[in-house]
Amino acid sequence: MSDFLATAVVGLGTYLFRAVFIVVLARRRIPDVVLVALKYVAPAVLGALIVALLTDSEGNVEIGVPEVAAFVAGGFIAHRTRSHVWTLVVGMAVYWVTLALI
Amino acid sequence: MSVVRAAARRGVIDALPLFVPAIPFGLVIGLAITNTGMNPFVGWSGSWLIFGGAAQLTLITLLGGGVAVAAAVGTALVVNARHLMYSAALAPTFQRQPRWFRWFGPYLLVDQLFALATIRLEDEPDSFRTYYLAAGALFWILWSVVVAVGLLLGPVVPEEWNLEFAIPILFIGLLVLGIEHWPELVAALVGAGVTYLAAGLPSRTGLLVGAFVGMIAGFVAERIRRE
Repeated sequence: MSDFLATAVVGLGTYLFRAVFIVVLARRRIPDVVLVALKYVAPAVLGALIVALLTDSEGNVEIGVPEVAAFVAGGFIAHRTRSHVWTLVVGMAVYWVTLALI
Repeated sequence: MSVVRAAARRGVIDALPLFVPAIPFGLVIGLAITNTGMNPFVGWSGSWLIFGGAAQLTLITLLGGGVAVAAAVGTALVVNARHLMYSAALAPTFQRQPRWFRWFGPYLLVDQLFALATIRLEDEPDSFRTYYLAAGALFWILWSVVVAVGLLLGPVVPEEWNLEFAIPILFIGLLVLGIEHWPELVAALVGAGVTYLAAGLPSRTGLLVGAFVGMIAGFVAERIRRE
């Protein structure tokens, strides 16, 4: 139940983000300081999330050669192809190969 | 009437190729729901309750990873804060629309739909609305289906494949595609570094600390870049 509630709260919040200027604040502008800060929310959160995903329940970060190799390969492919599909395919392939070799 | 029908067809045709990159994303979300042992219906409900892949995946992995509910919800919301910018950017165009559409339209406003809408801002209000609804409806239907397919595939995929590692790989892809200048890279690296250092904080709140400090670092870096 609490999982469903959490999902509903995120859904409601997301709707509010999407609707607030369209529905109520059409004539207001976002202050420039906020606009600049918003630009950096996504990269900061994604960087933090990637580390959080590799952290176990005791707070130890589990990152080894296969993970680093896959991140480097995936990041490179994402940069070159701008494609999530290729990023996923190459990243996972590098991960599996290095995992098998070590 | 034919103008409106043409706008609907245009919306569907434009939306289809944009949906392709979302397919592996949706499948991974389905797999993630299975991996975390979350109730499949609850996990899938995020597809239409949230209707935003990055936040949905964030919420599922954090809830499944034993993060405090408030921290998981907070992080997922922060991931979606960029929609404030979309709302502000489209607000003038929506002022020419009927009230029901001003309330309902934002629900469909995913990244891809925003990208499509921004090139249609000068359309007639009727055409814009039809185009927006057609493209948005297509994204909405396909997204729910793809996540459901991922859920069906989840139990079939052998555990030795370590497919859960696809999640950080996807995040790396999202991250790299979002980097235009070095301040974004600074925000990401500082966000990751601080989260690493704060990994021992209770209830995994280090994630929020890292994200916040990363954002500040990006902000400061931008100031330096402009000077």
